Amino acid sequence: MSNNYFNTLPLREQLEQLGKCRFMSIDEFSDGVEALKGKKMVVIGCGAQGLAQGMNLRDSGCDVSYALREAAIAEKRQSWKNASENGFVVGTYEELIPTADVVLNLTPDKQHTSVVNAIMPLMKQGACLSYSHGFNIVEEGMKIREDLTVIMVAPKCPGSEVRNEYVRGFGVPTLIAVHEDNDPKGEGLALAKAYAAGTGGHKAGVLMSSFIAEVKSDLMGEQTILCGMLQTGSLLCFDKMVEEGIDPGYASKLIQYGWETITEALKYGGVTNMLDRLSNPAKIKAFDLSEELKQIMRPLYNKHQDDIIDGTFSRTMMEDWANDDKNLLGWRAETAETAFEKTPAGDVEISEQEYFDNGILMVAMVKAGVELAFETMTAAGIIADSAYYESLHETPLIANTIARKKLYEMNATISDTAEYGCYLYNHACLPLLADFMKDIKTDVIGKGLDLEDTGVDNARLIEVNTALRSHPVEAIGAVLRGHMADMKKIV
Amino acid sequence: MNIRLDNLTVNFDDRFQLDQINWQLDDTQHWVITGANGSGKSALAAVLAGAGDNLSGTIEGLPARVGLVSFEAQAELIERERKKDDADIMDVISEGTPVHEILSEGGRNPALVSQLVEMFKLESLLNRSFRKLSTGESRKVILIRALASEPELLVLDEPFDGLDAHTLEMLQQYLATLVETVPMVLVLNRFDEFPDFVTHIAYVDHGRLAYQIDRNDKRAYNELYQLLHLKTTDLEVPAADPETAIPRLDPAQPLVKLNSINITYDGHRIIDSLDWTIERNQHWQLSGPNGSGKTGLLSLITGDHPQCYVNDIFVFGFQRGKGESIWQIKQFIGYVSTALQWEYKVGTGLRNVIISGFYDSIGLYTKATDRQKKIADEWLALLGMSDRADTPFNKLSYGDQRLLLIARAMVKHPPLLILDEPCLGLDDMNRQLVLALIEKICAASETSVLYVNHHAEDKIKGIENYLKLEKREPAAS
Ligand SMILES: NC(=O)c1ccc[n+]([C@@H]2O[C@H](COP(=O)([O-])OP(=O)(O)OC[C@H]3O[C@@H](n4cnc5c(N)ncnc54)[C@H](OP(=O)(O)O)[C@@H]3O)[C@@H](O)[C@H]2O)c1
Repeated sequence: MSNNYFNTLPLREQLEQLGKCRFMSIDEFSDGVEALKGKKMVVIGCGAQGLAQGMNLRDSGCDVSYALREAAIAEKRQSWKNASENGFVVGTYEELIPTADVVLNLTPDKQHTSVVNAIMPLMKQGACLSYSHGFNIVEEGMKIREDLTVIMVAPKCPGSEVRNEYVRGFGVPTLIAVHEDNDPKGEGLALAKAYAAGTGGHKAGVLMSSFIAEVKSDLMGEQTILCGMLQTGSLLCFDKMVEEGIDPGYASKLIQYGWETITEALKYGGVTNMLDRLSNPAKIKAFDLSEELKQIMRPLYNKHQDDIIDGTFSRTMMEDWANDDKNLLGWRAETAETAFEKTPAGDVEISEQEYFDNGILMVAMVKAGVELAFETMTAAGIIADSAYYESLHETPLIANTIARKKLYEMNATISDTAEYGCYLYNHACLPLLADFMKDIKTDVIGKGLDLEDTGVDNARLIEVNTALRSHPVEAIGAVLRGHMADMKKIV
Repeated sequence: MNIRLDNLTVNFDDRFQLDQINWQLDDTQHWVITGANGSGKSALAAVLAGAGDNLSGTIEGLPARVGLVSFEAQAELIERERKKDDADIMDVISEGTPVHEILSEGGRNPALVSQLVEMFKLESLLNRSFRKLSTGESRKVILIRALASEPELLVLDEPFDGLDAHTLEMLQQYLATLVETVPMVLVLNRFDEFPDFVTHIAYVDHGRLAYQIDRNDKRAYNELYQLLHLKTTDLEVPAADPETAIPRLDPAQPLVKLNSINITYDGHRIIDSLDWTIERNQHWQLSGPNGSGKTGLLSLITGDHPQCYVNDIFVFGFQRGKGESIWQIKQFIGYVSTALQWEYKVGTGLRNVIISGFYDSIGLYTKATDRQKKIADEWLALLGMSDRADTPFNKLSYGDQRLLLIARAMVKHPPLLILDEPCLGLDDMNRQLVLALIEKICAASETSVLYVNHHAEDKIKGIENYLKLEKREPAAS
């Protein structure tokens, strides 16, 4: 098996790479796609990212075509349909890769080694290879031919958003990086910038980062708060409500749409705003619960981050790949059999505010997960901007997928890597919270507080409000959201 | 009192006709009749005082004593006095009828007359000859005559016109004291003059009673306000922004030239080998049933259709697929459709929605210049929405959203304005609103309009080119 690239670096360089992150100014993109003009871009794979990025780039004036594996073309698979029905030239690797100036590898991460090995010999001298996720380079230590430039342009949103936001005239926040070992002509940054501009990402904000920082933070976010916490939270909250006699249809609906509703508040005003949606007594309750949750879960977050940093995570996952995904497929089947997954949302009316009032525990879980993920990442040397995007920023986007079709949809939308990490987290977190859940009653999940007495202690409320507002994720969130809001007057 | 007009058609000396009026007024109601100039609002008021020749239909329940104030009534009295003078001319030189005589004609309540004379400050004119009064003074006399006639119904056609601020206020206050005893019908053209006691509004358009609105129906009231505003305002379509000017196009070239276009979904051809050229300054109407490919065809022009890269399309100087960006194309196009309205789900304020038209974006992502803000405000004024500049777009009614999106599409004065079924889903009043705006735009700009609708029969003034698509087998005509 391959070498973990990160582990080959001396500590000094590891730290430097992890800490690489700069929020770029829009002025740095004034050349638009100029650096890509006259260049031939060939996308490999036409899935979620492949199609969305390709359409955006073409609409920005770039020359885009698709190289698909032969079977996909012969069998007219979905990827072939995606590309050809949208009027793109589609060809085999042999037909298209040799003509390409830039090759965009947008196949699933698991396939990167075989795909890159297949296309590298076909690539033009001095061409550019790009990724939207650095796993292959960082965790698998893929070595790229020395004459090739290697860059990353990673939109921090699912493919559908990448396309929709572009069509509106905007874009999604995007992370770009140049693999310093592969920048022979020093043109990596210019190409990455033009590519980001071609997808519209520059309008929403671009972070100039490194392959390493991207991978180590992306993995951390998706396993813990983004997917793991939402999965664990869904299962625990549902079982608890049913156990306490709440109608299963109601419980199912409260959770399926609850994540989306409460994280919508997160999106606009951070953790503070999410908790401000609660009544004062409920807010204090949610705060206390989340403090307790953070204490219980902190070792688990640390373990995930440690395993990600030292490569344990990717190694065990790759072992599972080699073992025909036995664990992944088993866990996927297990998830499908859970009571939450099998209980359809009931035909009941739940108002927007009710999702908050009756979902105090869910709010506490989101708060605990966001803050822990952020704290753990920054403690590991990841810059706050990056940690924010990989935690708080993406939570509402993942919550949307659960609203569509529950955990099935979430796990189908995210990458296999994220899904694998999500199950890992879930398996460790469920037993970890067992004792905590014993004391949970319907006042914090399902029915809401019995508000005969809505009074709270002033001093305590001030304490809670101050603690909420002074968390570092709120500080960086205010800056980054402020930047988005400056341009994006969508409320 | 309960007045009933059933299918009433009234002719006025063959100059004007009110058609098939259905209307009921009872004595707890106070109406305003409104409408554009020449719409027939004064005629309808006059019918209540017995004017016109009934051609068909019925009118029932008119009270015996109707107090009428109108320019016509005023003119009639002046004319009568003039004739009297002419008749007297052989005898002595007539001084004409003095005001006090005019006021006491027909057994009016003398106490009330003198109270009103005092209120209107006419004491010093009581002995003056009526025909020597100024227009404003004679109007006051007419008002006093009507008010003092102990009417069972008061019909006041533009009663506030030409009154000084003080008199106006006094009259409004006086009318307010009558609300319990006398039902009133006022003809007024300005919403800000509608007295608080008015309970209903009748809107007259082209001799028909188009809308009857309960004042408490806030939405309908607002829409009517806007409609009247658009029909009567002197405001022009605001100019383009010279700083965000659209690049000049070669005048010799067509705006759009589609060569043998195909659109295929799942192997099924929706549009087959279609040629279409839109020259500058041509207005077009595109029609055809659902599924005939209208929207697909449009999105080839706007660059929203992925198959625009596999067709021979020339738009605004660009041969598509040669390295241009869709934003370079979109800058020449203003676009309104139901689909856009569904997409435009934003809480952006109205001013910013209009400004987003400069950038062809849904939502505004760029800092607007002061000039752009000013232009947007001019559009809001034209639409009668000045007071709502910062209201979130998604709080507007469906019809108001449509109006605003039309303004957004026009704000940059694009060479081509595409209106894809602009009235779809709108009720009649909102349709009127949208059409009034479109007519204003067509009349005032050099933009070519491409109007799309289901029905080829639904024609718009000024459009002279037609393309009709058939389902599956499209053909140019
Ligand atoms: N999804 C996200 O939210 C997201 C966000 C940012 C970055 N990314 C990154 O974007 C990249 C693509 O992810 P995705 O979610 O777009 O993947 P995806 O939707 O699963 O699409 C992958 C495409 O690759 C093709 N493919 C699969 N196996 C292949 C193989 N062995 N050889 C050649 N082609 C193969 C598939 O087509 P056929 O099977 O028909 O050949 C499919 O069209 C990944 O690096 C991912 O980490 C994803």
